[in-house]
Amino acid sequence: MSSNESDTGLTALREKVEHVDTAIVALLAQRVELARAVGTHKREEGLATLDAKREAAVLRRAGTLAREAGLPEEAVRQLFWTIIGICRHAQEETQ
Amino acid sequence: MIIVTRPHIADHDLDRIREYIESRGLRTHVSQGDERTVVGCVGDVQSLDPDAIRALAGVADVLRVSKPYRLAALEFVARPTLVSIGDARGTTFGGSEIVVAAGPCSVESREMILESAHAVSAAGARMLRGGAFKPRSSPYAFQGLGAEGLELLAEARAATGLPVVSEVLDPRQVELVSEYVDMLQIGARNMQNFALLAEVGRVRRPVLLKRGLSATIAELLLAAEHIMAQGNSQVVLCERGIRTFETATRNTLDVAAVAVLKRETHLPVIVDPSHAAGRTDLVAPLAFAAIAAGADGLIIETHPNPAMARSDGDQSLTLPSFTSLMKLLAPFAAAAGRTIASPTPENAHVVAGVAS
Repeated sequence: MSSNESDTGLTALREKVEHVDTAIVALLAQRVELARAVGTHKREEGLATLDAKREAAVLRRAGTLAREAGLPEEAVRQLFWTIIGICRHAQEETQ
Repeated sequence: MIIVTRPHIADHDLDRIREYIESRGLRTHVSQGDERTVVGCVGDVQSLDPDAIRALAGVADVLRVSKPYRLAALEFVARPTLVSIGDARGTTFGGSEIVVAAGPCSVESREMILESAHAVSAAGARMLRGGAFKPRSSPYAFQGLGAEGLELLAEARAATGLPVVSEVLDPRQVELVSEYVDMLQIGARNMQNFALLAEVGRVRRPVLLKRGLSATIAELLLAAEHIMAQGNSQVVLCERGIRTFETATRNTLDVAAVAVLKRETHLPVIVDPSHAAGRTDLVAPLAFAAIAAGADGLIIETHPNPAMARSDGDQSLTLPSFTSLMKLLAPFAAAAGRTIASPTPENAHVVAGVAS
């Protein structure tokens, strides 16, 4: 394979990576939207924004999914902790 | 609070323990050993009922940590922490090898840093030290070359393959320094600069944390805790001498601190005999003592021409003396059940060249 061909291969792979990244950010936006809707519901029912029980369940599920997918569990849990933080923040902002 | 599991706990039991803790608003941190797993709990541990946790499947024991530091505490993990520098040679603090970092107090010129890097590498050093930003007691003393010094360190690394450790003084410099160096050093004078500790805690670069001149061991561990609480657990502690009434040495090397730290924390511990002594003739005996006390590494100041050094010339070894010291350290490392790199014969001419 010439270096030119391998460059083309690399470019194609990088394009695919960019598609995945775009999808990840779009999914994050979707998750934040859902969290806002949950926040509205919680307020209507007079519930607190912070629901540690629910957050723990989300983390546990993420850990299990990571394990099944062969991904490093602690890193994925960390990532979800950050995602939960973003969503909680969005819920609080809509108040 | 720390939860010790039964040997070979099933994933679903471990999940249930973590969910129990996390559903009460705390965070968990899992450390997996060969047999047992340790679940560390961070947050308002007073709200937890140890007896209720003991009743969960897979729990062997629940320990309350009475110490003010948690992430840095030995009990918190199932095995000692290894801090890997990420270089091609796989330099790691906390393993069987005693890692030696050597180089000048400050980067003074291209020639001197390259000469130093080649010589210490040939002598068996695994890392190159060198200050680009220098905290000096006097505002009129040489303050370091700054960003230019970082460029020169990067050039020395490219030439020798030695990873680089250099000090960062200000939270605003952390990003810049991280781009150039393999390990960030927090100097003794900044050990309790909490804004700086938090900032290096946020980057993913190993940190060399030096003990403050008048800091207790507990304060050193709490400083490490500040870094680790931000998510960076790659911390190496450094004993570099403390202030006492003694005037024969610049500082007093607290050898006992090394032994105490080995019992208190899972983090690697290294010793800086150069700053502790402030005199070249004491560097070797203090280095021997450090290895005997259980140190995982040494950081030693060298200079191609100490008499001309712009800082810390009194405590800097010449490059040939550093090579001799590396040879002398080998039997001490062996007696402590450790390994240490020796000067390489094929590179001996480099050192000899420097000596002539």
